[in-house]
Amino acid sequence: MRTSLNKIKAIEEYLLGGSTPVFEANLILDPELAQEVALQRETYTAIRQYGRDQLRAEIAHAQKVVTGSPEFMRYITRLFKKG
Amino acid sequence: MDDRFSTTELREAFFISLYRSTFPAVARYVARMGGSLEEAQDIFQDALVIYYEKATVADNEHAYVAGIAKRLWLQHYRNVAQHQPLNELDRVEEQEEQPVTGRIMRYLETAGKKCMDLLKAHYYDRLPAGSLAKRFGYTSTHTATVAKYKCLEKVRTVVKEKSLAYADFVE
Repeated sequence: MRTSLNKIKAIEEYLLGGSTPVFEANLILDPELAQEVALQRETYTAIRQYGRDQLRAEIAHAQKVVTGSPEFMRYITRLFKKG
Repeated sequence: MDDRFSTTELREAFFISLYRSTFPAVARYVARMGGSLEEAQDIFQDALVIYYEKATVADNEHAYVAGIAKRLWLQHYRNVAQHQPLNELDRVEEQEEQPVTGRIMRYLETAGKKCMDLLKAHYYDRLPAGSLAKRFGYTSTHTATVAKYKCLEKVRTVVKEKSLAYADFVE
């Protein structure tokens, strides 16, 4: 792999796997690396947010399918009738 | 993550089946506690998200989702009673780090969709390397891994550019 990709892989191992003394040392010596780490952390957050948004859409669709059944909804709405 | 969650269709089929089998119990519980149908649905949706994100460990989805929903309800009930915002426990941790701005997300959903789908399948859905390669048409798991890092690089660049552009704009 390209050097830049190997660097991304190393940052990933640091962020998702755990820190190593060598990486910690590099972080102190190389301020640019620290910046890259912060960016990559934000990238994982974006991916998780993207995944969660799509999952919520899938769940909402599933809910629409299930609540489209009048029989199912009659049963459910009866549960919320007071008294 | 096992293969029953590997595609949108499979996930939806799973959620539909879980909705049918488990939502009535959750709705009955919420109704008995004085909640509304909308509240029961919101709580059930949150419970499904939490379940999905932890799904590698659980094998009895009915008990697990119903258990999460009950805890969420108790938390919701307490907070409504005290007029306080939701706090920790098992709530979906929406933003434990710096939130990614809506602008970046909108850009990624359109311009970077192909990469985002690959990255989501790996990091969020946790597809095994073999399934990932097959689903995205790569000849080997190695090629898929390289593609994954290339995408990560690309998205990281977008995150950087958009953050910088915004910083310039507000200054």
